[in-house]
Amino acid sequence: MNGWTTTATVALAGGLGATLWGAATGPLHRRAVAQNLASAVTAPALLLLAQGYGRPAYVDLALVLALLGPVGTLVFARLLAGELADGGQSPGGRGPTLAVAAYGALVVVVLCAVTGPSRAMVKLLVVGVLLVAGNLIASKALSGGFGTAGASAGKNAGQERESNGRG
Amino acid sequence: MDDPLIVVTLLLVAAAATAAVAVRDPVRQALVLSVLGLCLAVLFTVLQAPDVGLSQLAVGSALTPLLLMLAVRRVGRRAKGTTGTTGTTGTGDGEREKAR
Repeated sequence: MNGWTTTATVALAGGLGATLWGAATGPLHRRAVAQNLASAVTAPALLLLAQGYGRPAYVDLALVLALLGPVGTLVFARLLAGELADGGQSPGGRGPTLAVAAYGALVVVVLCAVTGPSRAMVKLLVVGVLLVAGNLIASKALSGGFGTAGASAGKNAGQERESNGRG
Repeated sequence: MDDPLIVVTLLLVAAAATAAVAVRDPVRQALVLSVLGLCLAVLFTVLQAPDVGLSQLAVGSALTPLLLMLAVRRVGRRAKGTTGTTGTTGTGDGEREKAR
């Protein structure tokens, strides 16, 4: 155990535990927000683990998660659009979403400072940008920020393209 | 040497799997299931099997929820179609039951 893995342990126990509780209980909208936050909490922890184990190849896991986590949330936002719109328009989860995004950005910045200028740092920056942007876009799609995708709206790809265009 | 980390991730996997079983509505189960996929991917990474974790992430974070939600949608639409022929009030009740 070094400092990196200790930090990852604490972040996983706190963050993933809290999001698991949020996804298992409560109204549907909060569950969807918690599912989005779970992937946003896990990706920085995977980055910390890669640094802690001294294996830069493990960064690929965080890269894949930063890419596919928001896609999964957009799947839910698209297929649950009706029920999410029914269950009250409370755009809750704004504070936690921003906090998790700031946490991810902080982890990426610290790891970049440790890595130093190299190709690995570029990869870390790509992961960080994907992570924060995907998290914010997905949370905005969940709270209906892009118009709650009526039944006549296009398929998933169309909505994602639209959200990327406006975001 | 990484015992606390392994213990924490194992506990998370156990809690997520229990929650996925305890939640009864398929839509909510899909949400918990994607969190369980994340916990499993972290567990595989902690146990030094990142290739398994990579495929778990690829399948568990987007593909499994998509398949589940599409299946739930299709089954719900078919059920609505069959009850719709008998009466409209029954359809509404069924939908409200499902939403709960």
